[in-house]
Amino acid sequence: MSGSIRIGRANRLAGALPWLYLLPVVLPLIVWVYEPLGEAAWLSFFEWDMLPDTAKRFVGWANYRNLLALPKLWKAVGNTVIYMLGLLPFSVVIPFAIAIYTQDLPARFRNIYRVLIFVPMIVAPVVAAAVWRWLLDPAHGLVNRLLIGAGFEPVRFLTDPHVAIWTIIFITGWKLIGFATLIAAAANAAINPSLIEAAKLDGAGPWAIIRRVRLPLLSSTAMLLVTMSLLLGAQWSFAYINALTEGGPLGATINIYYLLWDFGFSSGAVGWSASSAVLLFVAFALLAMGLIRLSDRLSFHDD
Amino acid sequence: MMNRRVVLAGLAASPALLSAAPVRAGMAAASIEAPVEINFYNYNLATAGLGADATRKMLREFAELNPMIKVNGIGANAAGFIGRVQADLAARRQVDLVQVIFADLDFAVRSLGAKALEDLIPAGEMAANFEGIAPNGLRLGMLEGKTYGLAYTFSTPVLFYNADVFRAAGLDPEAPPRTWFAVKQAALAIKARTGKVGLATGILGPSAYDWLFQGVIRSNGGETISRDRKRMTFAEPASVEAVAMLRDLNDTGAMANLDTVGGMDSMAAGDVGMYLNTSAVQGALVAGAKGKYELRATTMPRFGDKPVRPNNSGSALVILSNDPIRQRAAWELMKFLTSKRGYTIITSEIGYLPLRTDIVNDPAYLGEWVKAHPLVQPNLEQLKVLEPWEAMPGANYRQIVKTMMDSVELSVTGKVDVAATLKAAQDVTQAMLPK
Amino acid sequence: MMISVLIGRVLPRGVLGHGVMLVLSFLSLFPLYWMVVSSLRPANAMFETSLWPSAATWANYRYTLNAIPVAQMLVNTLVVATAVTLVQLCTAVLGAFAFTRWRFRGQGLAYALVALTWLVPLQVVMIPNFLLVADLGLLDSVTALILPHFASALAVLMTTQAMRSFPRELIDAALVDGAGNWRLLWQVIVPNLRGTLASLAILIFISTWNEYFWPLLLSRTPENTMIQIGIQMFMTQEGNQWGPLMAASTMASMPILALYVVLQRQVIQSFMKSGLR
Repeated sequence: MSGSIRIGRANRLAGALPWLYLLPVVLPLIVWVYEPLGEAAWLSFFEWDMLPDTAKRFVGWANYRNLLALPKLWKAVGNTVIYMLGLLPFSVVIPFAIAIYTQDLPARFRNIYRVLIFVPMIVAPVVAAAVWRWLLDPAHGLVNRLLIGAGFEPVRFLTDPHVAIWTIIFITGWKLIGFATLIAAAANAAINPSLIEAAKLDGAGPWAIIRRVRLPLLSSTAMLLVTMSLLLGAQWSFAYINALTEGGPLGATINIYYLLWDFGFSSGAVGWSASSAVLLFVAFALLAMGLIRLSDRLSFHDD
Repeated sequence: MMNRRVVLAGLAASPALLSAAPVRAGMAAASIEAPVEINFYNYNLATAGLGADATRKMLREFAELNPMIKVNGIGANAAGFIGRVQADLAARRQVDLVQVIFADLDFAVRSLGAKALEDLIPAGEMAANFEGIAPNGLRLGMLEGKTYGLAYTFSTPVLFYNADVFRAAGLDPEAPPRTWFAVKQAALAIKARTGKVGLATGILGPSAYDWLFQGVIRSNGGETISRDRKRMTFAEPASVEAVAMLRDLNDTGAMANLDTVGGMDSMAAGDVGMYLNTSAVQGALVAGAKGKYELRATTMPRFGDKPVRPNNSGSALVILSNDPIRQRAAWELMKFLTSKRGYTIITSEIGYLPLRTDIVNDPAYLGEWVKAHPLVQPNLEQLKVLEPWEAMPGANYRQIVKTMMDSVELSVTGKVDVAATLKAAQDVTQAMLPK
Repeated sequence: MMISVLIGRVLPRGVLGHGVMLVLSFLSLFPLYWMVVSSLRPANAMFETSLWPSAATWANYRYTLNAIPVAQMLVNTLVVATAVTLVQLCTAVLGAFAFTRWRFRGQGLAYALVALTWLVPLQVVMIPNFLLVADLGLLDSVTALILPHFASALAVLMTTQAMRSFPRELIDAALVDGAGNWRLLWQVIVPNLRGTLASLAILIFISTWNEYFWPLLLSRTPENTMIQIGIQMFMTQEGNQWGPLMAASTMASMPILALYVVLQRQVIQSFMKSGLR
C-alpha cells in the first residue's frame, strides 16, 4: 500500500527547514509578482504617466468606474465564460482520451501519435494564427474551397459574429491539446500497474478498468487541467484574438482579459493599466479559490 | 514643467558648456565641439526589410558626415512604441530623438517632454532649414503654434485598384471612381459580375486607429474633435452622414468587412477590386501583384463636389533630450533625416512621402524615380492638400480613440442607428477629455 | 454498457481508435505543413491553395538569413530557454519537497499564494518588472530575460502533485538507511519523478522559446534578442512579409521539434522504468 510521503507522526518540529526549501520559490514570486501587483493596487487610485518628474494625481475610484463603464465589458464577461467552457473539451476530454488510448498501443504507434499530437505546440502562436487565417479565409482559404467543392456555402470563420468565437476557441484548443495530453499522459503512466493488473485479474473489461481504476486516480490531474482551463482559458486565447480578430467582429471574440489589455495597457496611463490589473487579478482569484475548494473535495489520492 | 526641466538640464550641462560658444539659456548648444552619443528610438529598426535597411543606410551616411556624433539606433516595435519610450524614460534612460507616431504627438508633448524647435534653435537657422517644405507639411508636426516634430515617414490614403478585375467587371481602369458614389457603383458591379470583393478599406479595426477615419469624415466637412480641442464632435451631422455612407456601402455588399491584415492579403492575392489604405503598403501589394495582375492607384474618393481632405499617417521626428549638447546633436540628425537626401532615400527605398516637394522633379534626387514609379502620383497629388492627423489630448487619449472607433465599427457593420450610437460614444469620450 | 459492448465486438477497438487518432494527427500536422510550404512560396503566390507550391523557391530563406541574425537569435533563445528550464525545475523540486515532506504552519496559505501567481498575467507586472530590472542595471543582459522566471506556479503545482503520490515504501527505506532530507530528495525522490520532470521540462522550454512580450520590452538590438522577436520583425507598418516570416518560423521550429523527439523518448522510457514495482 503506497502512501504519501507526509509522515503521519508529528514532524511539526520541522520549524524553519520547510521555509528554507520554500525560499527559492517564494522569494522570486514575491519580488516579481506580488510586489508589482501591490504597486498596481496602490497606483490604481491615481492618474500618472510613470515619469519620475511628474506628480501622481489622486482620482479615487475613477479608474475603476471608467473600466466598468466600458461598453463592451459585459459582452467580454459573457464571452469569457464561453471561452472557459468551450476549451474544456480540448484541455481535458480529448487529451485524457488520447492519453488513455495510446497508453496501451504498441510502442511505435504510441510514440508517433504522441509526437504528432504535440506538434502544434512547437509553432509560435503568431505563426499558427497566420496559417489558420489563411486556411480559413473566405476567399483564398483551403477549408472554404473544400466546403464549396462539397456543395456548401463558404463560412466566414473570422468575420461572422456567430462563428468567430468558436473559431478562436478551436485554434486555441488545437494548440493546447499537445500540452494537456502530455500532462495527462504523465499522470496516466504514474498509475501503479499492479492496480491495473489486479483489476484485470478480477475480470474487468477495458472500459470497466478505465471507469473504476484509471479515472478516479486521474481525477486530481483532471481537476488540475479543468482548473487551468477555466482560469487561463481567457489568457491562452489572447494571442489568437490579438492576431486574428482584435476582439471583433463587433466584440464577438473579445474576452475580459483582452478588453482590459486593450484599454488598460495600450497607453502608458498607469491609472488604466493598474486598475485593469487589479480587477483581473481579483476576479480570477475569487474564481480560483472557489475551484480549488471544489477540486480538493472531488479529487482522490492514491493513499 | 518643461521650463523646470530645461533649467535643470542647463545647470547639469554647464560644465560642458564652458568650452562651447556662449548660448542663450534654454537653447540647444550652438555646435558640437566634443564627441557626443545620442539615442534614436525608431520603429523601422525593429523590423526586417526595407524600412530597417534604409534607416541604417541613412544613419551610416550621417555618421560619415558627423564623425563626432555617435547615434545608437534603438529599435522598438511599432505597436506599443510610445509605451516603450515611456518605460525607458521612467527607467531614466537617455532618450534623445524619437520617431513619434502622430497620434501620440500630444502625449509626447504634454507628458514626455517633447521640445519645441522654436525653443531650441535660432529662428534664422530654422527658417533656412525649412525652405523647400510646403507650409501644410510643416503644420503636420505643430501643436498650438509650435513645431514639435517634422514629418518623417508618412503617407496619404490612396485608393488602390486591380485593373484586371475592373476590366472583367466591365469598368474602365483608365477612369477609376473619384467619388464615393462612383466607388459604390463600381464595387457593386465588381461583386455582381466577378464575384470578387468590391471594396475593402483600412478604416476600421483597432490597429487602424483613427487616421483614415479622420480623413473620410473631414472630406464631408466633419471633424472628430473641435478646433479648440475641448469638444468631441464626431457625432455631428456632417460626420454622421459620412458614417451613414459607409454603412450603406456595407449593407449593400459593396464594401466587405475584412479585417486589417485580411484586407491587405486579399488585395495582394487579387481577390479585391478596390482597396483604400495608406500608400505605405504599396510595396506589399506590388509584390503580390507581380506577374499576376495590374495594380493601379488613385486619390481618395470625394463626397460629391466637396474637395477631398486627406490627412497623413505615419510619424514625425521629435526631440526629447534635456541636455543642450544632445539637443544640438539630435537636431543635426533630424536635419539630415529630413534633408533632400534623407527624403530621397525614404521615398525611393521605403515608400513614404517626401516632405520636401522640390525634390520630386529634381533629377538629382527623386526626378527619375518618380517617372519610373507612376503609382506614387496620387500620393504626391494629395500631398498638396494634406491636413494634420489630429492627436487626441490628455492622459486618456488612446481610450478616447478606441471608444470612438468602436462606435464607428458598430455603426458601419452592425444593425444600429448610426446617429444614436455615435452620440452615445461621443458623450463617453467627452468625459475622458482632460478637464 | 451496450455501446461499449458494441464497440468492443462489432468495431475492433483498434480501428475506431486508430481512425480518430489519424484524424487528430492530421489536424495537428497540416497547419505545420502549410507553414513549411508557405515558406517556399514566392510573394506573388503566397495565398494559392495548391498543396505544393507552383513555383517553389528558397528565396525566402535567403532573404531571412540576410535580414535578421537568425543563428545568433537561436543561440540566445536556446541559452535563455535552457537556463529558465533548469532553474524552474530546481526551484519547483525544492518547493514541492517543502510542501509534501512536512506539515508546517502557514503551509496552506503559502501554497495558495504560490498557486495564485499563476493567475497574474504577464502584462500586469511587465512594466514594474522592467523598471526593477533597469534599476538593477541589468537592462541589456541575458539575466534580465531569465530572472523573472525563476519560479513558476505551474511547475510547483505539478511537481507537488507528483510528489504527493510518491510511494511510501521508498521513503521509509531511505530513512531507515539514515538518509537526510537532502539525500532523500535528490537521490531517492527526484530520480523517480523523471516522467513528470521531463514533461515539465518540455513545457517550460517551449513556453520560454515562444515567449514574446517580455523579451520584446527588453529588446534593443536584433543581435541580443530572441527568435520570436526576430520572426515578428517581418510584420511591418508597410505590410507583412509572409514568406520570410514563415521561413524564419520554420527555422525556429526545427530545433524544438528535434528536442521534443529526443526528450520524448526520455519521457516514455522513464514512464516505463518508473513502473513502480
